[in-house]
Order: sequence, then structure tokens, then C-alpha cells
Amino acid sequence: MAFIEIQDLYKEFKKVVAVNRIRLEIEQGEMLTLLGPSGCGKTTTLRCIAGLERPEGGDIIIDGKPMLSKGFVQPSKRGIGMVFQNYAVWPHMKVYNNIVYGLKLQKTPKKEMKQQAKSVLELVGLSGLEDRYPSQLSGGQQQRVALARALVRNPKVLLLDEPLSNLDAKLREELRFEIKSLVRRMGITSVYVTHDQAEAMVISDRIAVMESGNVVQLGTAQEIYQKPANKFVADFIGTMNFMPGSIVEVYPGENKVAVQTEFCEKLMCTTFEKVDAKGAERVYASIRPEDVELFAEKPLDRENVFKGTITNKAYLGNFLYLFMKVNETDIRVQVPHFVPQDEGQQLFLFFNPEKCNILF
Amino acid sequence: MKHGQPGLSVLHFCKGWDMSRSQYLLAAFLWSVIAFLVIYPLSILVLESFKISGTETWGLGNYLEFFKDTYYLKTFGNTLLLSSLLLITTTVLGIPLAYILARYRHRGKTVFTALILLPIVLPAFAGVFAFIIFFGKYGTLNLLLMDFGLIDKPLNFIYGIHGLVFIQSLHMLPFIVLGLSAGFTNIDPSFEEAAEVEGASGFRRFITVTLPLCTPSYLAGAVLVFLWPFTDWLTPLILGQVDFLPSVSYINIAYHFTDVHRKYMGVVAVVVSSLVCISLFLLARWWVEKKTYTGLSKGTTEEGRVVEPSPLVKSGAYIYMGLIAILVLLIPVVLGLSAFSRRWVFEPFPTYWTLDNFRLILLDSPGMVKNSFLFSGIALVLGIAFGLPVAYLVVRTRVVGKDALDFVITLMLAFPGIAIGVSYMLAFWQGIPLATYWIIMPLALFARRLPYFLRMAHSSYLQLDPSLEEASEVSGAGKLRTFFSISLPLLLKGVLVGVVMFFIMAFQEISTAIFLYRGGWETLPIGIYLNWHRGMEFGAAAAMAFLMIVITFILLLIISRISGGVLKAAWGTAKK
Repeated sequence: MAFIEIQDLYKEFKKVVAVNRIRLEIEQGEMLTLLGPSGCGKTTTLRCIAGLERPEGGDIIIDGKPMLSKGFVQPSKRGIGMVFQNYAVWPHMKVYNNIVYGLKLQKTPKKEMKQQAKSVLELVGLSGLEDRYPSQLSGGQQQRVALARALVRNPKVLLLDEPLSNLDAKLREELRFEIKSLVRRMGITSVYVTHDQAEAMVISDRIAVMESGNVVQLGTAQEIYQKPANKFVADFIGTMNFMPGSIVEVYPGENKVAVQTEFCEKLMCTTFEKVDAKGAERVYASIRPEDVELFAEKPLDRENVFKGTITNKAYLGNFLYLFMKVNETDIRVQVPHFVPQDEGQQLFLFFNPEKCNILF
Repeated sequence: MKHGQPGLSVLHFCKGWDMSRSQYLLAAFLWSVIAFLVIYPLSILVLESFKISGTETWGLGNYLEFFKDTYYLKTFGNTLLLSSLLLITTTVLGIPLAYILARYRHRGKTVFTALILLPIVLPAFAGVFAFIIFFGKYGTLNLLLMDFGLIDKPLNFIYGIHGLVFIQSLHMLPFIVLGLSAGFTNIDPSFEEAAEVEGASGFRRFITVTLPLCTPSYLAGAVLVFLWPFTDWLTPLILGQVDFLPSVSYINIAYHFTDVHRKYMGVVAVVVSSLVCISLFLLARWWVEKKTYTGLSKGTTEEGRVVEPSPLVKSGAYIYMGLIAILVLLIPVVLGLSAFSRRWVFEPFPTYWTLDNFRLILLDSPGMVKNSFLFSGIALVLGIAFGLPVAYLVVRTRVVGKDALDFVITLMLAFPGIAIGVSYMLAFWQGIPLATYWIIMPLALFARRLPYFLRMAHSSYLQLDPSLEEASEVSGAGKLRTFFSISLPLLLKGVLVGVVMFFIMAFQEISTAIFLYRGGWETLPIGIYLNWHRGMEFGAAAAMAFLMIVITFILLLIISRISGGVLKAAWGTAKK
């Protein structure tokens, strides 16, 4: 049985559905990320786990104990630690008092309390700042205080609500790894909310991608990147070229289909699952920019080769980004930075059928 | 106060001396007005307090006597006691009230808020008179209770320190409620949620997190409450309790002009009260500025954290709000009854209805109404002409000494009205005999109420993005043109609220005016006081008070139309 089970969780705000009967299972010691654009219900889900929102339906089971179905369990009784987006470090208390607040409520002996505070401060790298007020700390330091406060009571579950979104890019990257290794070392089951796909991919064991109140895909970063469940996921995680069209032919036993698009009669694509439907079905043939291969001369030994024109280019340091047109369709292509290209130049694009998928 | 406008400062730097010269000229002009209308009279006041009567000498004699004389010491002690009681009462009453208004979702929120905050704009004396009629020895309540045979002798509801605390509490309660409810609404919800997650539930969370975080906004109101007994000379006087500093000063100065020594002692009392007021005000300000907590939350809703209380709690809340609202409503109702009647004595309700009182004050001798409008109106024009440039100077320029200017004007908030009145009386009598002309009245009103307007102009200026003005300048408009075509239209809403608020405040000013008026210069508040004091035209006084309430109410409606909310109207523009 999973450590946290979310069963048909349903929450609405003034008739607007925020979380639409989602199901999730989170294993003990796992770090799961809820990823999605703003308004997708990820934060609401997290706040339901914390007990800060009262869902209208469903149940949340933490370590075998139902939080809703046998009477609403108050947040204070759930044994969770939470890091808020805006830190929520109390400005009227010193760092030390912020951290031991929860311990005091548990009536922890003073000596033990000091010891625990000391070790958790060491853990987050804030030793010696016990007597500072939050206003005397930088954003990153405040975030560490928030983390220390959430960890000091050894919670069963750690909830993190976009904890890094208020920090600058450099610090954000640094803290991602820090949080990951810290939480892993302590073995705490944790749920992390973010809208930043890179952050989600770095930090989590599994990612649940959410869209308008639903979990649209659940899997590891690799699974989600390589086999996105639908167009939304593919678009949200990384960049994807979408070529709308319809299936004109299905090759049974091969997981292959041919798609008719705006610029060609037959684009060969691989499908993740068996597709039965044929014809008329609206699909998106899709390929990642880094999977498109470019040729100066038309290679004759393969299919899925089309002529395109470079309309724009962007130099991004480690690679070159080309905006191309194949007939009327825009295709983005990522190539190594040393390949010289000019705007207006005509090239041949190869959509490797293995890497060209169809999405709905 | 810190205002960061890096963009503008660079602009000023480039424009160099030319631009700032006109700003310095403006600053010099504004300073000279302040020097003439504030600094000069107040220094005369202080000087006067060092004069020894019967001699030409100066010395600390009066102060030594003040702090040795058991009577003055007792008065001082009484005032401090009253202040403390007042603060405790308003705080105890105000915390639940503010919490209900800020956090509970309930019907009639706007109405209750408006009613509870109403006393802030009602003249203090209107409340006193209404409560004497209702709660007095042979007032409505006592007569009703005796009629029903519940009591034999009238109960003493209001004569004494308990009555003072009661009446002043009701008048000052809005300051606490406004401060606290703004605090409850504005604090970042995640502070409380974090405490909830950490294991603190309900009351504990309120005590350890919510309330401490609201202290800055509480304190802003609390200091005004605490200082009120050092300012309000009228309420104790009417209730027959004169042993309080402002009342003693008033009696010493206004009634004993022949006894020069008593006059000097009165001036000493005024100076002492002013010193107490200013130091407490500065202390509170310093503390608030040190402790301003801001959250980082981007997603807080406008209404803050709102809860749905249980039915039991909810009905309790309604009863509580209702009781306070009824007490507030008593003021206009009782005054109204009295205004439309005659010979209302020894009866619980009036029996003889008439419009005579209104005929008297509106038709027979309309001077007071006319004076009130005239003086407040002139004060208002002066206020705008002076307040807007000051706000501009403080917010938008880097003129040396602008913060000092702002500081001096803000200090006027703390000064007891009696100090302004007395100092004008002393300063503009000999030497500069301005007090022999009626213009002294609007000038005094202007000086006294200036901070109210300035604060509003100031805060709306702060909310005006400097880049909007910069864009106009870059497009080729001069400073003045930019001000009239860009700044003023955008500021107008905030400024208009300030204007109306200023007018309301000037309209009901009595502490200052009472020392300066001469025959024919009486305003409505003075008329009320005189008619009541003489004990004759009871109904006329009530009619005037009722008229003032009606006018105030209309003005308030106008404000809430402009600013879209009574709460905002009473407290100034929303915080940034």
C-alpha cells in the first residue's frame, strides 16, 4: 500500500472545479512533483494534502490513516512539514523561534529542542544565524529557514509549494539539488509543486503533469519527455513541433502509421500504442527540435525528407535554434552551434520515423 | 518614510540645478507658510509658559509649580488613568469586532462596517449630548426604567470616569477597529497557514502569529486613542469631570483671563499635554516603522483570509455587532428626536413636535451655518493649494529638508487642538494682530487639519507610477504641464477623498476655534457648545448637531461613491 493515497479527490471554488477526482499514489520515501501551468489545480491538491483546503469529495490516506473520510483531520494533526512559496517565515520571530515553534507546541524538552534546532540549521547551512530576524536574511536564507522549520519535527510528509519561485535563477538551480539530496538523505516522502519543468525533472522521482484539475500523465521525467501522453504534455514539457494532420494508413504489427499533413501526403510516424483508427482522425505528428536532422543534399535512401527554408535563427551558446518553414508549416530545429547556417538558406529536413510520434 | 524612485532621481540628476532651483523656491515658500502658521505660534506658546506672572522675568517657575502642586499632578494622573482605561476598553472591544468584520463572511458587512466606523466622522460633542439625553440622570433610559418600576432612583450611567470611558470609547473605537481589521485582512495568509501546519490550532495561532503581526497597524490607531484624553476637553467638562489636563487648561485659559498666573499654568498644562502627545506619537511611529512586516505572497485575495463561522459563533457575532451599532445609532436618533421637538424634559420621549429649532438656525440666524461652510471652505482651498505642492515635494523630489517638512506637518496630527487654539490666541493678538480679523478662523482650521489632507494626497502620489509622469516629460511637456495634464487627473480620486475628509474634519473643529471666535464668527460646533452651555436653547443645539450629522453623512456618501467603499473612505486610499 502506498504511503500517501489520493482517492478521487474533488475540490471546487465557487462552482469552478479546481481538482477533478484525481487519483495518485505516492510511495514511502518518494519525491513526487505536481507539475502544470497556473490554475491547473496543483497547488490546490497540495493544500488538500496539507489540510489547508477542505475538498468536497474523495479521500487522502497518509500512512494508512484517512484524512477525510473518518472526519476531517486538522493540518496541525497531520504530521506534515510544509514549505510555502513565499517562505511564510514569521517576521516577528527570530530564526531560532521560527524553527522551534512546532517543537514548542509538542512540548519538547528545552535541551532536546536546542539540539534539534542546531542540527537542522547545520543541515540547511544556516548555523550561527539563530538570533537573526527574517528581515536580516536574504531570500535564499529565508527559504532555508522555511525548509529547516518544515524538517525539524521529522515530518512523515514534506510538502513544498513552489519553494524556489521567488529566488533568482542561479540560486534556484543550486537549491534544487540541495533540496533533492537533503530530502533523499532523510528519506521523507515529499510532494513538490512547481510550474517549472526543468525544476520538476531535476528534483523528482516521478512527475504528475496536471491540466485543468486532472492528472494527465504520471511517470518519470524520462517517460514524460519521451512518451508524452498528449499534445498538452508534449507542449508543456520541452519544445515540440506539431504538424496537424490525419491518419491515412495503419501498419498493423509495426506500431507505425502514415499521416497526411499540410505539406505531405505521407509522413511516417511511430505510435506508442496500437492505433486502430484509420482516416479522418485529427492527430498531431510531432517531433522534438533536437530530433530533426538537416541535410544540404537530399538523402535518397530514406523517407520523411522535406525541403525547408530557414526564416530565422537564434544563437543560444551551446546550440543554434533555427526557425524553418516547410511549405506553410513552421518547424523549429535545434542544431549544434558550430554548424554555419544562413537565413533564407534551403535545406532538407529529415523527420526520423522512430522519433516522429503522433499525439492527440 | 522611504520612497524608492530610482528612475526619477536619475532624471533629476541630469536636469541639474535649474530644475531643482524652482523646487527649492517652492520648498522655501512652503516652509515660510509652515513657519508662520505652525512654528511661530507654537513657539510663542512655549515661551509664554516660561513667563512668571506679576514680573517681567522668565523661568521654570510655572513648570516646577505644576509638578509640585498636588492638584495638577492629580489631574495629570487622572488623564493618564483615563487614557489607559480608554485604551484597554477599546482594545478589548475592538479585537473581536475587527476580527468579525475582517474575517467572517456575513450579510450586511458593509452596513455594519459603516455604522461601527461612523463615530470617526461624527463630532465628538454630538455623541456626548446624545448620551446625556439618553443615559443622563433624567434621561430616556432612567425614566423608562423608573416607569417600569425597575428602579426607584435614577442610576448614574455616565457621570464619572466610567461614563467618560464609555463615551470616549465609542468615539475612538473605530481607530482600533480600522487598524486591526486592516491588519487582519492584509497579513499574508501563509503566515497563519504555516502556523497551522506546524501544529498550532485556533486561539494559539491567533495569539502567537496573527495578533503579533497586526501590532503595527494596531499601534497606529492605539496611539491616537491613548492621546484622545489629552485632547478632548469638552467631554469631561460637559460630564462635570474637570480634573483632566485639557479641561483644566481650557478653564484656566478661557475663564480666568484676568488671573494671569492661572492663565500661565493653563498654558503649562497645554505644553505638557502636547509634549506627552508628541513623544508618544513619535515613539509609536518609530516602533511601527521598525516593525513593518510585509509578506511576499503574490496570490493573496483582496478580502484576505475569510472564514465561515459556526452558526452559534455567527449569531454571537451578529448580536455583538448589533449592540455596538445600536449605541452608535443612538447618536443621530436621539439628536434627531431632540431637534424636532420642544421642551423635552422629564419624559422618555418628546411629546411636542416642531420645526422651530431648524427655523431658528437656518432662517432666523443662519450666521453659524454660513460661517461653518465659509471657514471650512476657505480652509479647504488653502489645504489643497498647500497640500498638493507639499505632497509633490515630498514624494517626487530630492529637495533637502523635504522630510523635515513632512515630519513637521505630520506632527500636527499629534498636537491637541487646544494647543493650536491657545497658541494662535497668544501669537496673533499682539505683534501680528491677525486674530482681530475673521480670516484667523479658517487659517486655524487649515493648520489644524492639514495632515489629514496631506496624508491622502501623499499616499495617492505614492501610488502614481513616476514613469507615467516621466513619459509626459520625455514627450516634451514641462513639469507644470505634466502635473496638470497627467498627475492631477490620476491623483484626483485620492485627492478628492482627502478633500472631503478634510472638509468634514474642519467642519466639526471646535478645540481650536473656541479660543479664537468673536461675536459673529461662531461656527456650528461653537453654536452647539454655547447653546448647550447656556442651558437654554437645548433644541437649537440638537438641531445644529443633527444638521451637522446630516451634512457629514452626505459628504461621506460622496466619498464612498468616489472611492468605492466606506472603509477606504474613512481610512484613506488603499495601501500599496
